[in-house]
Amino acid sequence: MKIRTIRYIVKDGIANISKNKLMSLAAISIVVASLTIFGIFYILILNFEYNVMNLREQPEIQVFCDVNLDEVGVKLVENALTRNSKIKQITVVTKEQAFEKVKEMLGDDASVLEGIENDFLPVSFIVKLYDPEDSEQVMQEVEQITGVASVKYPQRTVEFISKFSNWVQFVSSILIFVLLVVSVFIISNTIRLTVFARRREISIMKYIGATDWFIRLPFIVEGVVLGIIGAIIAFLISGYGYSAIEGKLTNDLAKIGVNIISLIKIHEIGTKIIAFYVILGCIVGAVGSALSIRKYLKV
Amino acid sequence: MVEFRNVSKRYPNGTLALRNVNVKIAKGEFVFIVGQSGSGKSTFIKLIFKEEDPTEGKVFVNGYEVSAMSRKEVPYLRRSMGTVFQDFRLLPDKTVYENVAFAMQITEALPKEIRRQVPMALALVGLSRKADMYPSQLSGGEQQRVALARAIVNNPSLLIADEPTGNLDPETSWEIMKLLTEINHRGTTVIVATHEKSIVDAMKKRVIEIDKGVVVRDQQKGLYNNEDKNHKIYS
Repeated sequence: MKIRTIRYIVKDGIANISKNKLMSLAAISIVVASLTIFGIFYILILNFEYNVMNLREQPEIQVFCDVNLDEVGVKLVENALTRNSKIKQITVVTKEQAFEKVKEMLGDDASVLEGIENDFLPVSFIVKLYDPEDSEQVMQEVEQITGVASVKYPQRTVEFISKFSNWVQFVSSILIFVLLVVSVFIISNTIRLTVFARRREISIMKYIGATDWFIRLPFIVEGVVLGIIGAIIAFLISGYGYSAIEGKLTNDLAKIGVNIISLIKIHEIGTKIIAFYVILGCIVGAVGSALSIRKYLKV
Repeated sequence: MVEFRNVSKRYPNGTLALRNVNVKIAKGEFVFIVGQSGSGKSTFIKLIFKEEDPTEGKVFVNGYEVSAMSRKEVPYLRRSMGTVFQDFRLLPDKTVYENVAFAMQITEALPKEIRRQVPMALALVGLSRKADMYPSQLSGGEQQRVALARAIVNNPSLLIADEPTGNLDPETSWEIMKLLTEINHRGTTVIVATHEKSIVDAMKKRVIEIDKGVVVRDQQKGLYNNEDKNHKIYS
């Protein structure tokens, strides 16, 4: 296909939008409506995942070394932990730091520690994992390291969070899929109306000797442009809407003292959402056009 | 140029539109296809540009077996010929100029070529001054002239007209026929399906008469109705 043909096709597709203003408006409105509904769910899911992730990040494995392990031994344990690919981050708690912690915990009773060297406390590591699902395995592996005395881990909490998060993801992917199918269906039906209104034109083009793609592409360009326009409008609506809600909700949550749940700021997910909308708008517009024109090409 | 070899056409609803038709049309000829509505002359035309396929037999255009072409080849077949219809079939959203240019755009012609050929075609049909008007602003005769300009803009070797004057008054019909004659004089083969007696009688061209799907007459310099029984052939 030659460049001048592509230029003609793009020009014709865009010209058709302004020639069929009412239909274009209808198609855009439906794209906006579907994408906005879709976006509400998508933002909800993003927030869920964000919060689950925050919660997941918290549990850590504590690895205690033998009390009598010397510096070289500690270093070896540290190296072994660093080499484990499932471990994201390790923090060393030295004997001194552990001693300070104990002191802090005892508070007013700290005096009982007077005259005691910090030697009686072991060096420990706080280990963060990439994926809490691996915790069982990592614990077993870490216990094998020479110099490690014991491993502690708040297991139940993590298992629960992990399961909950999987469940949320499962439900959200079903929801997104259903919404996607519904959107494509509605939009392709709207474009079908514009194609139906122009079925005579299509048959005339076929009589003159236009190839199927020459006829189809301007419609697809039209669908894609309508999809993009719809996506931008939907983004403006859901973006402004969300940031207003997010601002108010964060405020209210702070007032009642809830700090476990937090909402993502719009600028953090803005690019994600607009990309999602535009890609979705394009696909839905193109697929919708292609589907609805198929029937009229058989002349 | 165009050849029908033992062609029969039966529509899915059972109608037998053509029965064992054998016709040869040579390059540069001007042929009228006559017959009453429902006689099968429209089917005859449709088989040439492959809107329909024959149930039996073969149709050849320019040496290619049209009846055996795949769906993908059809656009290229149609570009090799110009077509004119009773209902003009112009694109309502395009101007006169754009309608004619469209026939060249689909062939991916050079813009330079388009700018040269389209005004020439419009001048031939006498519509240069109305190039920027839309079809809805034109009379029926003018619209048919636009369709003619579109049909010839690619310099096809074959022009097919299905009832080109069916929606026009007698005077305008004559203008169209004069244009078709002129196009024929330039070397284009012209096939016209019509049931306008006065035109056929006055032009004295080859006449192929179809009745109930059968070619009942194929006569040089013929009239619409056959007075000379000797020329009548049955097949």
